Amino acid sequence: MTAVRNPTDWKSEAMRKRIAGRYAAERRFKFAGLFAVVLSASFLAFLLVTMMGNGLRGFTRTEIALKVDFPASPLLLDPKAITDEALANANLPMVTGTVAKTVLGEKADDLLSPTAWISIRDAIKADPMILSRTATISVPASTGLDLAAKSKGSPEMEAEVARLKQQGILSTGFNMGFLTASDGTDPTQVGIWGAFKGSLLTMLVTLILSFPVGVATALYLEEYAAKNWWTDIIEVSINNLAAVPSIIFGLLGLSIFLNLAHLPRSAALVGGMTLALMTMPVIVIAGRNAIKSVPPSIRDAALGIGASPVQVVFQHVLPLALPGILTGTIIGMARALGETAPLLMIGMRAFIATPPGGITDPATVLPVQIFLWSDEVSKGFVEKTSAAIIVLLAFLLAMNGLAIYLRNKFETRW
Amino acid sequence: MTEEQIKLAIENPKMSARDVKVFYGEKQAIKGVSIDVGMDHVTAFIGPSGCGKSTFLRTLNRMNDTVASARVEGEITLDGENIYAPSMDVVQLRARVGMVFQKPNPFPKSIYENIAYGPRIHGLAAGKADMDVIVEKSLRRAGLWDEVKDRLHDSGTALSGGQQQRLCIGRAIAVEPEVILMDEPCSALDPIATAKIEELIHELRGRYAIVIVTHNMQQAARVSQRTAFFHLGDLVEYGVTSDIFTNPRQERTKDYITGRYG
Ligand SMILES: Nc1ncnc2c1ncn2[C@@H]1O[C@H](COP(=O)(O)OP(=O)(O)O)[C@@H](O)[C@H]1O
Ligand SMILES: [Mg+2]
Repeated sequence: MTAVRNPTDWKSEAMRKRIAGRYAAERRFKFAGLFAVVLSASFLAFLLVTMMGNGLRGFTRTEIALKVDFPASPLLLDPKAITDEALANANLPMVTGTVAKTVLGEKADDLLSPTAWISIRDAIKADPMILSRTATISVPASTGLDLAAKSKGSPEMEAEVARLKQQGILSTGFNMGFLTASDGTDPTQVGIWGAFKGSLLTMLVTLILSFPVGVATALYLEEYAAKNWWTDIIEVSINNLAAVPSIIFGLLGLSIFLNLAHLPRSAALVGGMTLALMTMPVIVIAGRNAIKSVPPSIRDAALGIGASPVQVVFQHVLPLALPGILTGTIIGMARALGETAPLLMIGMRAFIATPPGGITDPATVLPVQIFLWSDEVSKGFVEKTSAAIIVLLAFLLAMNGLAIYLRNKFETRW
Repeated sequence: MTEEQIKLAIENPKMSARDVKVFYGEKQAIKGVSIDVGMDHVTAFIGPSGCGKSTFLRTLNRMNDTVASARVEGEITLDGENIYAPSMDVVQLRARVGMVFQKPNPFPKSIYENIAYGPRIHGLAAGKADMDVIVEKSLRRAGLWDEVKDRLHDSGTALSGGQQQRLCIGRAIAVEPEVILMDEPCSALDPIATAKIEELIHELRGRYAIVIVTHNMQQAARVSQRTAFFHLGDLVEYGVTSDIFTNPRQERTKDYITGRYG
């Protein structure tokens, strides 16, 4: 009855081939994995190198040490009566141009930034007594000269750089103004502070609105809501909401917050509210998953010694789910931080030269600022765009770092 | 089962169930169980897997309330008071009828906090010093004090399985319950840890009414004075443990005890 089977020959040719094939498959898999890792790492490295190459120059600026002989200049100012009004009436831009021509020659207008007079005004404000002598004041160079000094300018400017360097009045240094100023018309004068503050305020509004609502929704759906078709519909809607293209949220914000509620245009408040709509579903989904992963045995334990449902939720479930909730929140916030499209819809693309004082002031945000600068024709904006990208990336890295820190801090060790 | 048999077991019941039926949706898991549980005994529930031991045990402190599909019919009283009456506060009931689960489930907090949590939410301690007393007393009763007194602030989850289970017993004891329900408390433990828990059950007997579910018949014989045999949602036989094991009246009990099924 039993069929006669030969004992397995583990050393046969077929077996040997099978073993060789298995090893080959493993090697191929390992190689493919390695290739994928190297590829993505090199993309990242490429991104970083180009960003840094361009962007770091954006953090520096070239200055000319301008020797101003105030008594000889056409400036009519009384050192004892320096007021903002007097300074405004003194026609400093014209005076600066005249002085520059005497010091730097006929082409001075091309060498100095159109905002050079601001440095002179600030110097006079700081010490009115310089009006009675010759003072050396550092003023920003023009974009052309700036680019040439950082070695990629036009031939004429390269020549000017060589000439000024010989005179020893040209210097390139860290541009503090880039971190403290806001948007402007001239690339030598623009800064990132306005957009940074706008982003900060917008994120704050987003967090304050989306975190409590998102967590409360997640808790309610997981802990209290009966499982019926009604909650199924809510669940499906929330999942779909998380996948809706962001520009749609912009349209929603436009029609509800601006057209219907008449909230201020271009403001961090409306931007934050719009982004909160987008971030909330992400928090709800992450929150529900985190709450679901709290072991039921912990709920049983707490209920079993007479904890009320609310105590179970707030004293056991929520603390255990918190790391997951925070991680989800920061992922959602990071996505919101990088959003441009919905904010363009609600008017945050306006040219805004002063940093917002509050959430209802007109503001712009980092990604929109990057978008606006990348659209500028002036060559000087190229490196400013890259520099702004570096600031945005640093902001994102800081947020992710915070996420990791918070997760480790609240993580429960079992 | 006769009325006489229910009464025979207990004169002065702490808890009694009359014609209790439990449904999970359409499906009936308990088919009319009446039983008295006394203060002076350890009562063991035995029976094959899936016969409804856990389900019935969980009706005694209304843990079944947390299962959306579960529905309970019949009457269960604690000291003569119907625990399913609207006037009964579930939260307080669960403090009075404590529970120890199959898998040790300490909170991921310190040993001290594990014990102190219950007394704190029920307002049983008058202050820090009072709480220290409660924690020490509970851990002593749970037979764990000597092992953990030097590391009260270590995590409860860092203890061994047997220690964790005793911690859970201590946690239940800390709120001064009247009844302690244990659902297969040793099934996840090794023989030495099991022996310690059984010893502990002996010591706790008399102070609390104890009900223990077990699939291990030797364990039922060792720790209990009363045994109830469940089969397919019915309470087949209930009586003095030694009688059940040496002289079962029902054919089904006999078959189970002699290992013919289960
Ligand atoms: N939450 C539940 N939902 C539906 N059916 C359940 C649930 N819990 C238990 N049951 C069913 O009830 C019966 C009794 O289960 P249980 O009380 O856990 O048995 P035991 O503890 O004796 O092994 C089993 O048939 C089981 O499938
Ligand atoms: Mg069970």
